[in-house]
Amino acid sequence: MANPLRLYLTCIRNTLEAAMCLQNFPCQEVERHNKPEVELKTSPELLLNPVTICRNEAEKCLIETSINSLRISLKVKQSDELENILTKKFLRFLSMRAEAFQVLRRKPVQGYDISFLITNYHCEDMQKQKLIDFIVQFMEDIDKEISELKLSVNTRGRLVATEFLKQFI
Amino acid sequence: MILLQSPSRYLLQILYNRVQSLEKGVELDSQWVEFDDIRYHIQGSVKNPNVLLLSVSLPIPPPETVLFGGLPLGALEAIKAAYGAVAQILDPPRDGFNLTLKLNLSKLPPDEEQKHALLTKIASVREVVMGAPLRAVLKQLVTRTVPSDLGKPVALVHRPNESFFLVPQADKVTVIFPMRFNDSIDTVLATSFLQEFVEARRTAGLNNAPPCLWSPSPPQELTEAFTEALSANAGFVSFVIFSRHVEGRKLDRTVWNLSTFHAYVNYHVKCSECFMHTRMRRQVESLIQALDRAKPDPEKAKKNSPNRSFKRMTLKDGNNSLGSRSWK
Repeated sequence: MANPLRLYLTCIRNTLEAAMCLQNFPCQEVERHNKPEVELKTSPELLLNPVTICRNEAEKCLIETSINSLRISLKVKQSDELENILTKKFLRFLSMRAEAFQVLRRKPVQGYDISFLITNYHCEDMQKQKLIDFIVQFMEDIDKEISELKLSVNTRGRLVATEFLKQFI
Repeated sequence: MILLQSPSRYLLQILYNRVQSLEKGVELDSQWVEFDDIRYHIQGSVKNPNVLLLSVSLPIPPPETVLFGGLPLGALEAIKAAYGAVAQILDPPRDGFNLTLKLNLSKLPPDEEQKHALLTKIASVREVVMGAPLRAVLKQLVTRTVPSDLGKPVALVHRPNESFFLVPQADKVTVIFPMRFNDSIDTVLATSFLQEFVEARRTAGLNNAPPCLWSPSPPQELTEAFTEALSANAGFVSFVIFSRHVEGRKLDRTVWNLSTFHAYVNYHVKCSECFMHTRMRRQVESLIQALDRAKPDPEKAKKNSPNRSFKRMTLKDGNNSLGSRSWK
């Protein structure tokens, strides 16, 4: 794998390791409610500074942390129109299956392509280290999948064109 | 199946079944639609099992194309030439259709092979009808007759309200397709496919194939002639057909391929999308597995349970109803 990508992912992994120390925290406004503070942002004292990790303009990652929840938003590189369409299609496909992923957010945060929301319940349910592994693997897989999809479209295009033109010879 | 086949599979099957069981003729009345909005209707009766009525309706023509009695130029002659005594053109055609043929199965040639060829030809009726004007223009290349309207583009219908253009010249015919797609994803995929056509033409094995060009703006030949037909969201493709592409038996293939070019590209765009979906589904499965790996074994989970924070008073419920579910 390309070295810059490895560095980018390592940086995200380390940041997540530091950020993912979540604890149970009931809502301060409403009794017997327990909500992810990072989504509500009602009390500034419960929020930590958001971190943005950029590989370049097109590829970045925003990590927002609060006392009981963590939100990771990714922007995936889209160098041309075809990649843009493929990314949109693939991430929409994933978001529609957010129920199965548990930590996936149905809608991405504004300006990003896909978001995760991790609460303290997820952290209790799953091993923290493995959860971070999952996020990193997810990012790797998306990149790989999109470049493979693009390749397959081009290969098919070439094959289709060759077969068509062969008819005239 | 990479290439589209010209005989309608369904029609061919019907004709075969009919021919094989002529004695016990059954009532037959069936309608179906094929790509590019071509509708077929076939009717046969018990009383007269040898006679079938085959009606075809063509896509709605755009204003710039010229039709004669609802049929493309030269279609009637092409039908007569292709089917001979077997088919008789009924005038007027059945309500809602452009052409009705009365097929007389008793006049089929007795030889099995010839019969087979003729039935296949009948099943390819759309190629005969829709391809007639294109065939006429391409034939001029073979016979080297200089067309009277040299360089003047001709519009031919190939899809509902859409046409493609022929520019006949002394030694070549330029065929120009404005490519339109309804869906933005289709448009992007098709554009990349069309660029591959240009690339593929450059490879060594295809040196003799027709030169192929793709451009996002309409080519010069068309700009004066048809202004309103020149909106295409996936650009314009043009093929230059020389006489070597239409020699002898190649003519049929060339006519069919050119008249279904849009359908061909569209079909492969859809296949490509279908393939993408299969891949994405598999990818989702593998990602879910990766997430499942993060979950500890149920036995270990029990040991860890004192560390949990519970939403409910009972331990059982607490494990199952994680309140944050609704927050994704």
